[in-house]
Amino acid sequence: MIYVNDLRKEFKKTIKEPGLKGSVKALFKPNNEIIKAVDGVSFHVPKGEMLGFIGPNGAGKSTVIKMLTGILTPTSGTCEINGQIPQENRQKYVKEIGVVFGQRTQLWWDLALQETYSVLKEIYDVPENEFKKRMAFLNEVLELDDFITSPVRTLSLGQRMRADIAASLLHNPKVLFLDEPTIGLDVVVKDNIRNAIRKINEEEGTTVILTTHDLADIEMLCNRIVMIDKGRMVFDGQISDLKREFGQMRDLCFELNHTDDLSKLNYMADLKLSDADVEVNYEGAAVSVRFDSNAVSVENMLSYTLSKVHVKDINLKDADIEEIIRRIYRQEVSIDEV
Amino acid sequence: MRFKKFIRTYRPFTRAGMLESVAYRANFFCFLIGEIMSCFIMFFVWKAVFASSNGETFMGFTMEDMVVYLFITFLTGYLTYSDGTYAIATEIRDGSIAMRMIKPCSFDMCFLFQELGHKIINVLFIFAPLVIGVEVYRFVITGACQFDIVNFLLYVVSLVLAYMISFYFNVSYGFMAFYLKNLWGADILKECIINFLSGATIPLAFMPQALAKVLNFLPFSSLSYTPVMIYMGMYSAQEIAFKILMQVFWLTVMVLLSKAVWNHAVKRLCSQGG
Amino acid sequence: MRRMLRLHRIFVAQYMKNLMEYKVDFLTGAISFLLGQIIQIAFLGIIFSQIPNLIGWEFNEILFIYGFSLIPKGLDHLLFDNLWSVGYFIVRKGDFDKYLTRPINSLFYVIAEKFCVDAFGELLIGLILMIYSVFQLKLTITWYMIPLFIIAVVFATLIYTAIKIATSAISFWTKASGHITHMFYMTNDFSKYPTTIYNKFVRTFITYVIPFAFTAFYPASYFLTGENPLFCIGGTVVASVVLFVISVFIWNRGIKAYESAGS
Repeated sequence: MIYVNDLRKEFKKTIKEPGLKGSVKALFKPNNEIIKAVDGVSFHVPKGEMLGFIGPNGAGKSTVIKMLTGILTPTSGTCEINGQIPQENRQKYVKEIGVVFGQRTQLWWDLALQETYSVLKEIYDVPENEFKKRMAFLNEVLELDDFITSPVRTLSLGQRMRADIAASLLHNPKVLFLDEPTIGLDVVVKDNIRNAIRKINEEEGTTVILTTHDLADIEMLCNRIVMIDKGRMVFDGQISDLKREFGQMRDLCFELNHTDDLSKLNYMADLKLSDADVEVNYEGAAVSVRFDSNAVSVENMLSYTLSKVHVKDINLKDADIEEIIRRIYRQEVSIDEV
Repeated sequence: MRFKKFIRTYRPFTRAGMLESVAYRANFFCFLIGEIMSCFIMFFVWKAVFASSNGETFMGFTMEDMVVYLFITFLTGYLTYSDGTYAIATEIRDGSIAMRMIKPCSFDMCFLFQELGHKIINVLFIFAPLVIGVEVYRFVITGACQFDIVNFLLYVVSLVLAYMISFYFNVSYGFMAFYLKNLWGADILKECIINFLSGATIPLAFMPQALAKVLNFLPFSSLSYTPVMIYMGMYSAQEIAFKILMQVFWLTVMVLLSKAVWNHAVKRLCSQGG
Repeated sequence: MRRMLRLHRIFVAQYMKNLMEYKVDFLTGAISFLLGQIIQIAFLGIIFSQIPNLIGWEFNEILFIYGFSLIPKGLDHLLFDNLWSVGYFIVRKGDFDKYLTRPINSLFYVIAEKFCVDAFGELLIGLILMIYSVFQLKLTITWYMIPLFIIAVVFATLIYTAIKIATSAISFWTKASGHITHMFYMTNDFSKYPTTIYNKFVRTFITYVIPFAFTAFYPASYFLTGENPLFCIGGTVVASVVLFVISVFIWNRGIKAYESAGS
């Protein structure tokens, strides 16, 4: 369905030194630098899959999406979706995809929402009866009825996002690209949107590619994730693989008998761990120690703790996916800085 | 001491303005070329007019006068142009005007000093070339140096006053954004009317006498016509004194007007909660 | 083509609905354009009150050329105004993404999206001036002048549009190019007067480099004098077709270089 092979995109960036002097200097001698925004990304998505695309800010997620949607032309490499190359016959290609950029709307700002849909109907050449059926379905899934006659500028962010997703699905696309579809929304609205996306995927078999910073989106929607950082792929696989592969983060939680005992615990020095491997949080006598079980075994951790202090209650927990990803991002940064 | 503090508070705004101007230098030059084109068109039109008329002068102006008028009017217009309307209107629309009330500096001074930064760069790039160009032209045509240092210095004084009037007028005008959804149309109308009333499109001397008289007393002639006429040496010492006093008068009016409008806006903001 | 016309009508309808939201704004805008033109013409009137003719051209002939210049300018303004936004902010803010994710030609989509009603100010003044001067000059109108006039106006409009397309497309490489469009666009004022008033350099420039002279003076002079139809009308067609082909080429190259904006 979607084949991406060694995709690369370079941008030229002018470096300017700060201050008036720097501006004047740039006037005469601009200093250009090539930024590799996407640096050799390859993956394959079968039909009907929901793929989560994650990575820190500026990792190149949006650039990949923009190349897949035909907005940007790759510097090298290929992407093929449904047997078509996006840049080659763009107008034909985009009929088969739907795109939502969470940070900007495709709706007519000053007009009633339904006006946008009737224009999109024409743009995508959707026949009248098809359009009616489609609107009924989208209405049911995304609950547009309450605000379909209001001007778009009066919609709340959650309503607007629902409206935007509906707009991208009007022509029944085979692939749906969602760039940060839950950005800035509250928990309840996020849940609604996720349910709607899942329903569309289930009922229509739409392939979904989703970028997000909210890992709950990923956990609830995607069976597979691709993680990129600094333009390179860091991970491609199931969420369970991610948990296995990248650091077994565990939380050791206990309550001290004497609050003062905390100073006796010095995991980093005594167990020779780096600060990425262990993190101690406490509130009064309640302590939680987050550690990487690849760097130090659970057994060592427990015996060290128990040998140093007296505790009331102790338990061990798996860390969530968010913690794993946070750790990967951080590690990438520290590797580069060395 | 207070003056020093004042300068220290607002100098960063000027610096920011200069940086902006340098950053957008390409835009600046393209705009300049685009705008100055109309001067050259009129230059050729006037050349043809003088070639087609019998006398040496046209309604009291020689060809050389006309050229000076054209280019100095352009320069004056460019330097006295103020973006205050747009700046205020934008802040009102996106609500950031409320932030002005919690900052420890006066709202008009922040704008003014920022725009001064732009003006400093503009002056560096276009003031000298245009004045020198005009003077060289006059020298070549008449065979004698026509540059009058006293008139020139008085022109600079008048120009600064004209800019200040323009600034405060534009700031006051910008507050219309409270009442209109969009200021685009109103802004074009303003430009059009000011260009006419200030004598920038048609020299006031060419207009019917009665109309010219009225326009001379309105604030708009202070924006362009007064400094240009001073530069050209068209006024006697007495007239110059009177015209500059008139500029000071209109500046005072505009400053008071902008303060009144600002106070009104503050009240409105407070009662409406932004 | 039929689909494009249909889409265009729908866009115009949507845009008009949009406009009604900003009635006052649009009305003041249109009136301002009108007023600006009236002042300019009054100025011409003052000048001509002092001289019998402008190197051989009398007042009414100048009015005809001036009026003619406003028609293609107004049509371009009416139909293709959104190109300005491309150079000023659509590309810089990354909003061009939207046009690329639609199954219609991006250039057509950008152009059709906006319909600039305030251009009626220019068109109205242009027509009034032309009709007035035709009667004053007692010009004889023969039947074949009507199709020639339409051809001249259509291709003259295309000259404006092509220059705007080419200069707006520069923004695909430089992010913003509104000021470049502005610089070229301002040259059009040269066409309001007979090219004979300019020196050789300017004349060559507005005939062969940026052929704005073909948007008004050359075609208008044919209708005034009946001389040189091949150069005056044929030249307009050739100049505009050449320019348009170049501009579409630049546009299509530009889309490939489009970098969007960081999100």
